[in-house]
Amino acid sequence: MALLELKNVCFSYDKQSPVIKDVSFEVQKGEYVAVIGHNGSGKSTIARLINALLKPESGSITVDGFSACDKKSVFEIRKRVGVVFQNPDNQMVASIVEDDVAFGPENLGVPRDEIAKRIDFALDAVGMQDFRKSAPERLSGGQKQRIAIAGVLALAPKIIILDESTAMLDPAGRKDVLRVVKKLNKEQGVTVIAITHYMEEVISADRVIVINDGTIETIGTPKEIFAKAKRLKEIGLELPTASYLANKLIEKGFRLPADVLSDEDLEEALCKL
Amino acid sequence: MQIIAKNLSFTYGKQTKAVSVKALNNVNLTIEEGDFFGIIGHTGSGKSTFVQHLNGLIRVNGKEGELRVGEFDLADKKCDLKTLRSKVGMVFQYPEYQLFAETVFEDVAFGLKSFNKDISQSEIELRVAEAITTVGLNYQRIKDKSPFELSGGQKRRVAIAGVIVSRPEVLVLDEPAAGLDPVGKREFLNLLKRLHSSFVKTIIIVSHDMNIISEYCNKVAVFNRGEIALVGTPQEVFADQNKIKELGLEFPLTARLKLALKNKGVEVGGDLTVEGFVTALSKLKEEGKL
Amino acid sequence: MREVTFGQYFPSNSFVHKMNASIKILIVIAYIVAVFSVKQFHFLGFGICLAFVITVTAVAKVPFLKVLKSLKAIIFFIVFSAVLQLFFNKSGTPLWEGGFITDEGLKSAIFVSVKVSLVVLGASILTLTTSPIELADGIEVLLYPLKIVRFPVHEFALIMSIALRFIPTLMEETDRIIKAQKARGADFDSGNLFKRAKALIPVLIPLLVSSFRSADELADAMDARCYAGSKNRTKFKKSVITWRDLIGLIITAGLVVAVVYCNGFYIFPAVFL
Repeated sequence: MALLELKNVCFSYDKQSPVIKDVSFEVQKGEYVAVIGHNGSGKSTIARLINALLKPESGSITVDGFSACDKKSVFEIRKRVGVVFQNPDNQMVASIVEDDVAFGPENLGVPRDEIAKRIDFALDAVGMQDFRKSAPERLSGGQKQRIAIAGVLALAPKIIILDESTAMLDPAGRKDVLRVVKKLNKEQGVTVIAITHYMEEVISADRVIVINDGTIETIGTPKEIFAKAKRLKEIGLELPTASYLANKLIEKGFRLPADVLSDEDLEEALCKL
Repeated sequence: MQIIAKNLSFTYGKQTKAVSVKALNNVNLTIEEGDFFGIIGHTGSGKSTFVQHLNGLIRVNGKEGELRVGEFDLADKKCDLKTLRSKVGMVFQYPEYQLFAETVFEDVAFGLKSFNKDISQSEIELRVAEAITTVGLNYQRIKDKSPFELSGGQKRRVAIAGVIVSRPEVLVLDEPAAGLDPVGKREFLNLLKRLHSSFVKTIIIVSHDMNIISEYCNKVAVFNRGEIALVGTPQEVFADQNKIKELGLEFPLTARLKLALKNKGVEVGGDLTVEGFVTALSKLKEEGKL
Repeated sequence: MREVTFGQYFPSNSFVHKMNASIKILIVIAYIVAVFSVKQFHFLGFGICLAFVITVTAVAKVPFLKVLKSLKAIIFFIVFSAVLQLFFNKSGTPLWEGGFITDEGLKSAIFVSVKVSLVVLGASILTLTTSPIELADGIEVLLYPLKIVRFPVHEFALIMSIALRFIPTLMEETDRIIKAQKARGADFDSGNLFKRAKALIPVLIPLLVSSFRSADELADAMDARCYAGSKNRTKFKKSVITWRDLIGLIITAGLVVAVVYCNGFYIFPAVFL
């Protein structure tokens, strides 16, 4: 059985203009899935639905066997699905890093000794052990987001959703966050759903879900997705810079592979000419 | 308006005697009228501090260097900041967060009214309409709406309109494309390009996105620990491979490819725009040098 | 970059800093009671209290000037109440022939000033040696008994801690909005009071909007981390009482006994002065 399953999910904020229309997809354990779509396409709403912050109007969402539509299983769902939101400043509850990481387990009634262990583990996993006693306002944006990830990890989730978590970071911060998330995915087997604008972040995903106006436009591997340059542009998305440049060169008669995605790919291909 | 900074230094926390942080250290920089100038560097490298000097939000301490923006002498305590600020527009990160008025019209008109108390109503209408149209919005349709009910992209445009309404000759933007989706980003940068060929003569952008810098800027300055580490055209700056790596900065894709090809003995000319790179490479191919 | 400080916390590793915040609050309360219980014109009692303040300041390794500075904020109040005593206390004999100032008036003016100053000095040692977060935690522990009367102690404490956490964030945001509006020609420094108040609207409204957004996002982030009120919640932070606190309590008890002894075991009415 899939770890996460959405079936014919519909949702609207005002019961009139639907934001999510008949969305269905599955995510398997250990997958790294990217979700892309233009601003206002409904991709963030999907994150909130999966985490039971919003309730679907119709359709079903199942996480690890628990239904997100069932009021009684809300906490079972939230234990399993952690969300890291966009704004690094608006996710921290406490004024000291370790207290903030403790917030989730405290809510679950985890015994104190166990919380201490979880804080250790979570801060280790995001490489922020040295900042245990720091105040958040002394941290950079990237560090704050790593603390936010630690706060989610302390709940021992099976899925982590990054809801544009890197959008407000500088390149160094973005790199740090992505490195941490990839490590968690590879080494701890945490399933990752990354909602993002940055096409460069999509390249290394196992699968990509493209959302357009509340519906699923297409699902596929990054290579499959970025082969449809024209359609992507129509729905407000673009190719990674490397693919864009490669396509321009191919138009000019260069013999390059058609599925260049990353900067490294293009560099290699050009050097082989 | 030409901008000249000479030995400009600035220290935070000097007044309070708290931990003082040297944010700028002997900065010498000239930005010519007509430049599309890029400023890059790590967070905390001093770029924001520098940029905020340009319209007097941060004042030059008389003893710590000179700064001239056109005819304005920023080191002079009596410098007419109001007029200066009408000529040097500044757009902060996420400018949509500064919107406050009941209608788009009122919000855009705010700057105009603050700069010029005696301006006539008809003049205001004219200028607001011009600003809103310039940023690519429909004046009639949007002027009476509340700025808070607009979409994210529209809000940002309205915020820009509120800055360019005073027809600044210099426009400074801090990370202008942050938070926009790819197409929104491209449209927005094209808007800047359009502005650059209107009354705005000089555009200065602070950005972490090297591909934007290489695509749009004719000159770049790299800040590092309050000093200018490199300055020149994008080609010149990113040709200094070791320095860029030492500073821990990224390369624009085109610069990266050029370096890779150079290591293989192929010199690609042209500038660092995608267009320029493709043209230069095609030429090499035709000449059979690839 | 800019260090955002609020309150007047003076970080150090001293004996006093390491004491338990709740105990420190209790000690300050006991100290204030002692100051207030000093019998009219028994200046020796004040001498004992001053000695206590000086000793604690020295042990806390806080510059004495910093403690004295706290008087600056209430200097007006001190002068005002002294003047009141000086001119309106008609008991006792006039200081000079036909004068309107009496010896009692002068004495009580000095007495009141010293009393108020001592209270403020004591309280400021507390805020100098205890960070706002520790204070909030300390208050929470002290409020715990109120649970019996269904006072929402946990919620109250959470509100305090979130408020403290967001002060630096809001200050940064305010700074940014002020700069943005200044760049658009806003003028906050000229004109009459009404004009200046009006000039703040372009700052206050965006600030309000952004606070609401922060509150919304924080609420989502808290929900996502399984927050469900105080029910079945554990607390990671332990309020630890050490030998330091015992010593502190013993010395404070000594102070109270000494003052009461000076008063000739006369304590009650003065407390309510």
